[in-house]
Amino acid sequence: MTLLLKRWGITRHNVQGTYVMRERVASLRYVFYPRNVAIIGASRDPNKPGSVILKNVLEGPSGIEVYPVNPKAEEIMGLRCYPTVLDVPDGVDLAVIAIPAPLVPGAMKDCITKGVKAAIIISAGFGETESGKALQDELERVVHEGRTRVLGPNTFGVMMPGRINTVFYPYDKSTSPRPGNVAFITQSGAMGFLLLEKMAYYRIGISAFVSIGNKIDVDENDLIEFLIDDDSTKSIACYLESFRDGREFFEISRRVARRKPIVLLKSGVTERGARAAASHTGALAGSSAVLEGALRQAGVIGAHDEEELIDFAVALAYGKPLKGGRVAVITSAGGVAVTATDRIENTPGLKMAELSEETKDGIKTILPPFASTANPIDITATSTPEMVDGVLEELQKDDNVDVVLVFSLPQPPLPVTEELVDVITKWFRKGKPLVVGTIENRFTIDSIRTYNQRGVPVFPSITRAVKALKVLRERGRYLEASR
Amino acid sequence: MSVRAKLEEATRLRRFLREDEMKDLLRGYGVSIPRHFVVEDENDLKKLEVEFPAVLKLCSYKVLHKSDVGGVVLNIPNMKRLREELRRFRERFPGESFLVEEMARPGIEMIAGLLWDDIFGLSIMVGVGGIFTELYNDASFRVIPISRGDAEGMLDELKGRRLFEGFRGMRADREAVVDLLLRLSRLGEDLGEYIDQMDLNPIVVYEKGLIVVDAKLILKQR
Repeated sequence: MTLLLKRWGITRHNVQGTYVMRERVASLRYVFYPRNVAIIGASRDPNKPGSVILKNVLEGPSGIEVYPVNPKAEEIMGLRCYPTVLDVPDGVDLAVIAIPAPLVPGAMKDCITKGVKAAIIISAGFGETESGKALQDELERVVHEGRTRVLGPNTFGVMMPGRINTVFYPYDKSTSPRPGNVAFITQSGAMGFLLLEKMAYYRIGISAFVSIGNKIDVDENDLIEFLIDDDSTKSIACYLESFRDGREFFEISRRVARRKPIVLLKSGVTERGARAAASHTGALAGSSAVLEGALRQAGVIGAHDEEELIDFAVALAYGKPLKGGRVAVITSAGGVAVTATDRIENTPGLKMAELSEETKDGIKTILPPFASTANPIDITATSTPEMVDGVLEELQKDDNVDVVLVFSLPQPPLPVTEELVDVITKWFRKGKPLVVGTIENRFTIDSIRTYNQRGVPVFPSITRAVKALKVLRERGRYLEASR
Repeated sequence: MSVRAKLEEATRLRRFLREDEMKDLLRGYGVSIPRHFVVEDENDLKKLEVEFPAVLKLCSYKVLHKSDVGGVVLNIPNMKRLREELRRFRERFPGESFLVEEMARPGIEMIAGLLWDDIFGLSIMVGVGGIFTELYNDASFRVIPISRGDAEGMLDELKGRRLFEGFRGMRADREAVVDLLLRLSRLGEDLGEYIDQMDLNPIVVYEKGLIVVDAKLILKQR
């Protein structure tokens, strides 16, 4: 974005600059909500990216006009084909470019001449390779002279379930992710694809997926600003290998993080190493201390790996920020109860809740006589959905409890029952903050999918469930402190 | 000469500020520092009104890490000893200037600093000080400028935060440290373009107030 503003001769600090920046961010609507799409490199050969993308776009909502562009074809998938984008009769909102890299600058020039509003360059072989650097420089010169907004090159594409899918991946061989509330921005296409698959597998919904590729124009900062205003997006997960402009990322995040949580996995921190330590301050900064401090200051939640990235974003998109850290644990397995207790007590900001006498008395009437009515509440192997329902109801009234961690566990040889899923879903939706944990295995996998599909996030290990609690508590603290 | 003009000139000529220049800069931002005097030779000691115990330090445009070259003598009890030490220093570091400084009484040692970060720009650090700073890595960073809330957050992150609540009869003035961080942030906002790295080390923190005993500024090269 900085480059774009420079191209317009505007800095982001003056009033006019701010206005233009908004316009530039708003222009991303042509990426996600185009009225029509030209597929440059559309192909009849089902193995070519141009064919896969065309198919994915066509499977999107009706009403989007699609123009295949390919000089060697008359018609593809029943659509009239155009030799160049200039031959398309209408104005074009979005062009998806999937042709060999050396041809891209020429095609991009055509897009600019045509007045195409936005382009997604799928083609690889640019700055990410040694031999492609010169080609990327050439492409950048072309792009910076025009006003077409460009995503890529070397991007895996964009997906907004039910809206648009330009992802270069054959969804007849896989399941497309469901619509949901997590927006996912990724600098690595491969990481993006792998995590999309994971989310689709567990039926975690996404509001948007964007692979930013080599970001010669559109970058993470533009996308965060755009997605913060997207109604379906409740949290933003961001995987970055480099910042386009770290200071701007900091400023934007600090401005918008109150509205929606941003989770960042920034890889490559160890690579940076400590700077030649002429000072103690330099030595203490190490490779990631400044990053960690800056994220905390901006209200961005740092993730250390891909699992935390998705877990945290899901917890924050669907869960409630916690006003306190006192946790009540419900489980039917003693070992889970004890391990969860240890993990909670060892997590700063969290502790096991001290249940009130009324709550304990109430629970006593529900559970078998040998069950524990103190926290952790171990319902034992005789657990029924009715017991879980009763205990959850009792806990609602207890002011000593800020959040309930309930483990949704099977009674082998039977899998987790639908009744239990219903009970927990009900309290997740109407009760005090609730986090659902389980242990993933063949008795629980179906229920994990059902929960996710209903917008009830479930964390399939004790550690992951406790981390979700921690992140919800941190969010609650941040919202309190920045009020 | 204005502060900026001085820093401009220093940046042209050198890599870092001399300790007295650095301390003047801090004093200009309301940071508390020990009383100190720059001396060249024994004659300069005659008019000196310094309270003992005192410290004698090499005050050089060339040497950044003065203790590495034996350029610091602590706990000098009287004028006679100061004169002797100065004579030794003059033989050892010919052509240099020296700093005579009143010795700060002991307290809890902390460290603070500024650092130009390639990604986020000028950042600020505070940590628990003394010789174990880097061993325990107990420091927290923020990006400049910081708010009072940010400064509080930095202190809350330290493992050594208990020192502010009282620990084995010691207690550090939390409010004084917050105030120092806000002053440093303002300094950084004003003069960030000249700063590559800055150390305030050690800062001696008392139950009431604090004093910055030593400070370094490495200038940003253009």
